[in-house]
Amino acid sequence: MPPSIEFYCPCLASTPHPPPPHLASSSYSFHPLHNLFFCEECDAIRCNRCVMVEVSGYYCPNCLFEVPSASVRAEKNRCARNCFMCPNCRNTLTVVPSDPPDTGAAIVNTVGEPPFFLYCNHCRWDSAEVGITFEKPTGLAAQLQKYEDSAPESLEFERLKEHYEPHLRASPSTGPAAPHSHHTHTNPITAAASSALARDIPGVGKYTPHSSSVGRNRSSRNKGNYNEVPDYRARVEIGSSNFTMGGGGETDVDLMKHLEDMSEIATLEQRWENSWMTSLQTGDLKPLRIPLHSKKSKRCPSCRHILIKPEQKAQSVRYKIKLVAANYLPAITVSLPHLYAVLAAMRKPGKTPQLSDIESTMHAGKTYSFQLSFTNPLYDPIQVRLHVQRSLPSSSMAEDGGGPSEKRRPPFSVTLPSSAFPIAAYAEAWEYEDDEEMFGVEEDDFDGGGGGRGGGREQGRGRTKTIGILERRANVTVIGGEVAISKEARGNIKFNMLVSYTYRSDDSEPSEEQSTPSRAQVQNREPEMKTFSFYTAIDLGTIIPREEHKSDAMEY
Amino acid sequence: MQPPIYYSKAEYIETDTGNKVSRRATIAGPQNIILGGKTIISSGAIIRGDLRRTGPGHAVVISLGRYCLVGESCVMRPPYKTYRGNFNYYPMKIGDHVHIGANTIVEAAQIGNHVEIGRNCVIGKFTIIKDCAKIADNTFVPPNTVIPALSLFAGSPGHFVEDLPESTQEMVEAMAKQYYTRFQPDPNEPTPAPRR
Ligand SMILES: [Zn+2]
Ligand SMILES: [Zn+2]
Ligand SMILES: [Zn+2]
Ligand SMILES: [Zn+2]
Repeated sequence: MPPSIEFYCPCLASTPHPPPPHLASSSYSFHPLHNLFFCEECDAIRCNRCVMVEVSGYYCPNCLFEVPSASVRAEKNRCARNCFMCPNCRNTLTVVPSDPPDTGAAIVNTVGEPPFFLYCNHCRWDSAEVGITFEKPTGLAAQLQKYEDSAPESLEFERLKEHYEPHLRASPSTGPAAPHSHHTHTNPITAAASSALARDIPGVGKYTPHSSSVGRNRSSRNKGNYNEVPDYRARVEIGSSNFTMGGGGETDVDLMKHLEDMSEIATLEQRWENSWMTSLQTGDLKPLRIPLHSKKSKRCPSCRHILIKPEQKAQSVRYKIKLVAANYLPAITVSLPHLYAVLAAMRKPGKTPQLSDIESTMHAGKTYSFQLSFTNPLYDPIQVRLHVQRSLPSSSMAEDGGGPSEKRRPPFSVTLPSSAFPIAAYAEAWEYEDDEEMFGVEEDDFDGGGGGRGGGREQGRGRTKTIGILERRANVTVIGGEVAISKEARGNIKFNMLVSYTYRSDDSEPSEEQSTPSRAQVQNREPEMKTFSFYTAIDLGTIIPREEHKSDAMEY
Repeated sequence: MQPPIYYSKAEYIETDTGNKVSRRATIAGPQNIILGGKTIISSGAIIRGDLRRTGPGHAVVISLGRYCLVGESCVMRPPYKTYRGNFNYYPMKIGDHVHIGANTIVEAAQIGNHVEIGRNCVIGKFTIIKDCAKIADNTFVPPNTVIPALSLFAGSPGHFVEDLPESTQEMVEAMAKQYYTRFQPDPNEPTPAPRR
């Protein structure tokens, strides 16, 4: 495992501090920088877990047809062209004529002979196995959809919609509801649904927000608004014994009782892609129309400004709006210099080993240096300060339940430069310059802010410096740190690090201001310094426990 | 910063446009192959430019864009089919910033820009891979598969796993350019006179 760094998104949490790195929740709160967004309005990081997502267009992932939203509804979110998925292996199916390829070389009729069926060229499943054949090789989707729509659940759903339709149309608040109200329970669909639930399932009324009124309405009908809707009677009882299969009824129990071969039962994954309940048996799997994919717009959950807005064309990878965190926060990469020595030793002609090939290399009781490389995306220089979040003394050590010593030392301690260090501004030209030309004059002071480029490559020729600024070139600054691993330590060297960077929000160079990707917000005329802080989680890898502890089970 | 990836200077030929082609790679029918520049063909790779459409004259069989990587022991072979009784090969077109991992076999018809294909994959005949897609290591993509833009495919048969981040294009481009910069002749190598 190569060392890694991820960035924290607070997801509108009340506390700005992330969970300690050893908790499971930690991995849900940290993300690679390139998966994060940035809201200028809120001056905050946003992630895929907290942004509001809106569909901006649908397309079929196989034929890439862009489906208008009106058709999406009618066609039940699946492709209506000749795109089908193998129910057995999820490969795309091909339409084939029944004639097996002739022995003669010339096949003149390109269409082939009916009946046609769907064939999987990966697992060799074919639709004739389940009795589905077609007279013509076209319009198959419509025929399949007819079959899907005849499923009892589908019919029931249609009837339910019909039943509630008049009520929904009559209700004044229907139509395109304001986006703000989507969480409240007052919209007519939810109200009708919860009313129906409360009426039909004893006890449910108590737990709904409208408990009191609904509860009373149960006994004395036709009082409240909800009960203007007449009772709905289900035509089929889903899951009952007389209903066919897959509903968990007697038929399913019977099937399971006489099961001799596990493969007779379709896997959950195979049944998952269906819209409705289907039979449990592998032999009953039907070809599936391919579910559509969508392009998505994303909004800030707090101020609702658009963060991501893709171009209309389905296969375009361009965006009309794209506010990603990588344009605002310094990118950070972690490396362990001693790993590269290991890599170099592994190199053989014709075989380039990769970092992911290397298992853990850090031994308990030793000290290792690591490097953090910061890249500034802003057109202004920044000053960065690092702070390692104290790990709780009872963190990962408490979990192994090992020896009796109560007051153990933390499993490792991290040393990083405590003073602020500069990173020069980003400039387009540097991207293409050759590395060698960028090393400037050697320069030992760390406080050379003010956008000074250049800097020392490796400090002190005699001994190699490990803590502090190791290198400055273009808009990159490399910082050295050290981790001392205790003798008893095990698990991962994982810690939270707070990164604070100070930037000038008002720029003295007017020409640059226009193009500054961020931070160009108007402040005062005075060059004002602003600071933005964010948390990261750094994982340097797994500790190799000391010899005498090798017998103990490790985490993995 | 990632360290340089050293190669033996004697092993690689560098073209005027900065392509680096291993002498240990098998380039069949080079007149039918186009390399866009700054593209790396690694040791043991086999590129079948000789499998061309029947008929007279020149024909581009395989074209690769800029900053591509054909990994160690990859096989690039144009797709073929029998149509109306005639067997034929069809061209393979690959865009810019496309990385193909070691030991992967590619018979695709079209690969867009900014595409990453992992190690030990099979990309079946006539597969179409759109921009910014990614194929995980050890994926088997059956023939005729279409892989939409910005999607991650994995498994056997390969299927859609998730949407890739909006910044994929920039990430892959930076990675591909960086890889080319890192790919340098070994400075410590004793230089035996290369056979020419
Ligand atoms: Zn979030
Ligand atoms: Zn389709
Ligand atoms: Zn299949
Ligand atoms: Zn916002």
